Formats: sequence, structure tokens, C-alpha cells
Amino acid sequence: MARDIKISIRNLYKVFGADPLGAMAHVKTGMGKAELLEQHNHVLGLQNINVDIREGEITVIMGLSGSGKSTLIRHLNRLIEPTSGEIEMDGENVLAFNDTRLRKLRREHMSMVFQKFALLPHKTVLENAGMALAVRGYTINDFEAEANKWLTRVGLEGNGNQYPHQLSGGMQQRVGIARALASNSPIMLMDEAFSALDPLIRSDMQDLLLELQDELQKTVVFITHDLDEALKLADNLVILKDGHIVQQGEPQNILLNPNDPYIINFISDINRARVLRVRSVMVRTSEPPADSAGEISERDNLESVIALSGGDTELTYRVMKKGAQVGVLDMKELIKALVPTEAQTDGPPGQF
Amino acid sequence: MATYDFLFSALGLKQWCASGESSAPMSMADLLTKNRGGEAEPESLWDVPFPSMDALNEACGNFPQSRELTKGLEQGFLSIKDSLSIVLDPLTQPLSWLLDGTLYGMLNTPWWIVIPLLLLVVFAVTRTWKLVGFVAICLMLLAFIDYYEYAMQTLSIIFVCAFLCVLIGVPIGIAMSRSDMLQRLTIPVLDMLQTLPPFVYLIPLIFLFSVTESKLYGIAIILYAIVPVIRLTNLGIRLVDKDVIEAADAFGMTSRQKLYRVQIPLALPNIMAGVNQTIMMSLAMVVIASLVSAPGLGVLVLRGIRNLELGVGLVAGLGIVILAVVLDRVTKASLARINASQK
Repeated sequence: MARDIKISIRNLYKVFGADPLGAMAHVKTGMGKAELLEQHNHVLGLQNINVDIREGEITVIMGLSGSGKSTLIRHLNRLIEPTSGEIEMDGENVLAFNDTRLRKLRREHMSMVFQKFALLPHKTVLENAGMALAVRGYTINDFEAEANKWLTRVGLEGNGNQYPHQLSGGMQQRVGIARALASNSPIMLMDEAFSALDPLIRSDMQDLLLELQDELQKTVVFITHDLDEALKLADNLVILKDGHIVQQGEPQNILLNPNDPYIINFISDINRARVLRVRSVMVRTSEPPADSAGEISERDNLESVIALSGGDTELTYRVMKKGAQVGVLDMKELIKALVPTEAQTDGPPGQF
Repeated sequence: MATYDFLFSALGLKQWCASGESSAPMSMADLLTKNRGGEAEPESLWDVPFPSMDALNEACGNFPQSRELTKGLEQGFLSIKDSLSIVLDPLTQPLSWLLDGTLYGMLNTPWWIVIPLLLLVVFAVTRTWKLVGFVAICLMLLAFIDYYEYAMQTLSIIFVCAFLCVLIGVPIGIAMSRSDMLQRLTIPVLDMLQTLPPFVYLIPLIFLFSVTESKLYGIAIILYAIVPVIRLTNLGIRLVDKDVIEAADAFGMTSRQKLYRVQIPLALPNIMAGVNQTIMMSLAMVVIASLVSAPGLGVLVLRGIRNLELGVGLVAGLGIVILAVVLDRVTKASLARINASQK
């Protein structure tokens, strides 16, 4: 699945403080975050970030509070200016854009969904949903149909004339998503979009996002501090810690080969059987096994296979994708994959 | 022999002091000591005066006395007064026209048009019949005791001045909210305007403009009452939710779109609270401004003080209270209406 690279972030640094460029010189000579804060009173927000965001995928950037994930996403539409580095979108250097070009980028190419919804409290739900279009100069008559279409799509049919404060948190965030979708921009930035919602509603919203994504194939950059959410949504997972990338890649891969104690800590208490999928642990071969116990899909998670086998580790399954065999899964391999992984010592962080 | 003689001899300024000895005007105290025969009192440490301007003048005749400070200020003001008037007079002339025009309009329209019109305005901004009824009773009460004309004079001055305060104050507040530098510069001026006793505005204004002109009290009222609307506009815009501003940026709003579509609407409750304060302060000042010929209920209060007409003064004072309550209730009700429409 080699898709085109939509946004490419190269050697991005962000230093907060009175003289970021001066402090940047120290960073280039190898000074760490703690030393920089202690000796020069500048905060190193992001250091040496390299990420490729591929078109039509959900790239999840995960990290705890203070890891710089919200700072990073704001660099993409330049709500925050980087201290050093490059950001390219479709091969164009975003940092070279002037005000007019930058506004065009924000209006037509990137929309954003916020943690605290950030709806306009004095406008109706309909007007909020059409905000991106109103900014471009359309009147309410022009965008009403479009805004209503997206409100209906996110399940808010008939709420158009209410005000945001009359809706629940989950419904308000649906308005936020409708607002982002109505701008028809190819890129959607979601900054902890579901973190303020309670767990059941959050799960609903995740399903909604995946469903919309199947249909619309947007390039989504999603920020979260919740590993379960990250694993559920991500096509590509980037794990940030203290402003640098610890590891990035396909989530299954990170789960099976974590390269940092930080990540092992992170993944130690998740249900591996539910998150890992057959394709990650199968042996790739087109030769049918000697005694197949049945056929399973490469997208099934291990939990469902264990249920299917009834716990019998002697079985072997044919793994199918679109009607053809792509591999073989031995139940013993499956059990091995469920053993928590120790940290690898080889390989630099962030690489595979 | 004065206490601080040594200071000037030490500095070698004896010569300079002597050159101005005779020219300094004498104070009353000096004159009295001279008449009493100028007995030289023995100096004790207990009696050492603070080295003030007057004490130093005693030692050195060429040193200015403190009364020359106030005199200098006065002369300075008087010397720039004429050129200042040339600039300020035409600039402020529209204020006179506006005040005179409104006064003329309000007083020469029959009461049976003015009162319903005012009630209509009250309904338009508050949408509550209860308040309209309350205002109607208050106005008719004032009219019944023959204070209608005075009350209308006061009201029309407040309308004009509060309107101008909002017209000038809101843009200043917006500019302040956008520039920290401007805020730092403006806040001391606002503090001064707010703490300076209102009578003090009147003194230089009397010198600048003739007392017969209505702009004199107009300016005094505006200077006094404009402060809250500036402050609260600035505060309101600065308090607008940062997340919403960020969303506006993220969707590519220009700064003009941001101002008109996000900042002002969201700051409106605060701005309206400022307008309420401004109206109340105009009312306070319009009474004081009756000292410089502002017409209205204040004139009656003044008459009460000057002629010791207790009844007139008290009734006029009560009339002012009634107006204040009416203005406050109406602006608060319209503020509540705005608050309800955006939580």
C-alpha cells in the first residue's frame, strides 16, 4: 500500500523562549532538552521531527501531555511557526507561503477539529457547520444545503437551528466534524478531537470517523494520548516523547517490535489479542497447509481466531485476502505473539 | 539668616542668589515677621524646616517659591490656550450642535410623542412589557410634578454623550486589545481620568471654551464617562475564548473577519456592561456639569444648594435617582437579553 506522500515534515525543530534562534544554535550542537531549559531558559518543544503523512491514511500522533503533539499538529497549518525545518504539502514548501497563500491553505486544503470543540457560541449549528464556507464569502443561502448534508452525515439532522450550548458534548463535536468536512478540504487535522468525550461516546465517534474515512479517503492527522484510540484508528502511528519521535510505523509492527522501554510501558496493559491482526503474525505463503482447520481473513484480530479455535493450539488456519490465500497461521505462533515483548537493543529509534 | 544658607555658600551660588534678592515677591508670613520687628528666633534642631522651595527661597532670593509653580503652570496654560482653542474649537463644534440640536428636538416635540417614543425604544432593546410599564410610570410621575422638561434635558444630554462615548470608546478599546503597547500607554490615562475629581476637568475647560457653549459640559461628561466602555471593550475582546480564536485562524479568517464575526460578538456582553457603566457615569457627571451651565435636573439641585431651597433640591435629587434606576434597568435588561442569546 504505497500511497503518495501528502505532507512531509523534515528536520522540524521548535524552541519556545525569548530568543529561539539563539537557543537553536545550541540545540544544533547537541544540547538536550533539560540542559537547554536549565542553562538558557528555553523550552525545546520539538526536536528533529521527520514524518511522512500519506494521502488517504489516518496518521495518528500519540504521546502523553507535554510530549509536543499538539504543537506538532499546529505546525502543519502554521498556527505555530517552526524554529527550523521544512514542511511540504504536495511538494510545495508551506513555510514559504505568504499570508494570502497561507489563508488559502487553511480555507481550502486543511480543516481542523479541536479538543474543546471551539464552536462559535453565538451562531446556530447550521452556521457553525458552514463556517469554513462563510469564511470564503458564501452567504447562508449558498452553504445551507452543503452544511445540512454534512450535519445529516454525522447524525445531526434537524439540529441545525439550535445553538451549540443546547447540545451535548458528543453532539457538539459532531458539529465540529461536520464543520471540518463541509470545507471539503483533503486534509483533516484532529487535535485530541475525542479526548473530552466520555468513553462510550468516544467509541461511537471513532466508529463514525472510520466509517467516514472508508467513504471519503481524506488525509487525517489525528492527535491522541490514548493508545487504544491510536491503535483503533491508525494506519500509521507516530509516538512522541518529550518532543522527539520514539518510534513510528504501522501500529501492528510497533506492537510486535517496540524499540523503546517507553513504548513497552505504554503497550504493557493493552489487550494484545484484540489489537493484533492475523496478517501481522501469519507466515506469508501461498501454499495451502497440510491440514487446514478452516479459513480466516487477514483482517481478523487474534481474539476472534482464539474464539474460533476454541483454545486448541494444534490447529492451523489458511489466511485469506479477497478470496485468495496469502498465508498460514499456526496457533502456536499466535500464542507466541501474545507474549509481551522485551525491548529490542538493536536499531536506532524511529527506524525499522 | 535662614537655615539653608550653608547649602548655597557651599555650592558657591551666593552671587547668583544675591542677584535676585529684591525681585522675589514677599509672602504674607514674611510681611508679618518684618512688621513685628524681625526678631531673630534662636534656631533649634526641633524647628528645622523641610528643604522645601519656600525654605530654600528664604536662604536664596533667586530660588523660586512654590507659588511660582502654580503660577507658572497657569501662565503656561494661558499662553498655549489661544492656539489650543484654534485647533479644539472647530474640532469640538459638532458636539455643541449635536447637544443643542438634541435638546431642541426633545423639548420642542410634544410630550405625547416623546414619551411613547421612549417607551418604544425601551421595548425594542428589552422586549419586556413589565419594564415598559415601569418606565412609563416613572416618566409620567416626573411629568406630573412638572419636572418633565428638566428630566428630558438631562436625558438628552446623556443620550448624546453616551452615544459619543460608545462611538469613540469602542474603537479605542478594540485598538487596545490588539496592541499590548497601546494598552500600557492608555491604562495610566484611563486611571487618571477615572480618579481625577470631576470638578478638576471643569477648570481647564472653562479657560478653553466659553461657559455659554454646550460643548464645555459635553466634553467634561465624555471624558469622565468614556473610561468604562474603553476598559470593558478591551477586556471583553481579550477574554474571548482562545480556542475559538484559534479555530477562526485555522479556518483561514482574515483579521477583519475575526474581529466582526468572532471577537466583537463574543465580547458584546462585556461591551454592554461598559455601556451601562458609561450611561450611569454620564448621569453622575451631568449633575456636576450644571455648575458650567448644563441644563437639566442638576440645575435644580444647584438651586437647592445655592438658595437653600431644601424641597427643590430633594425632589430634583429624587428625580435623578428615578432616571438612574430607569437607565440602569433598561440597559441591564438588554444586557441580559444578549447574555441569554449566547451562553
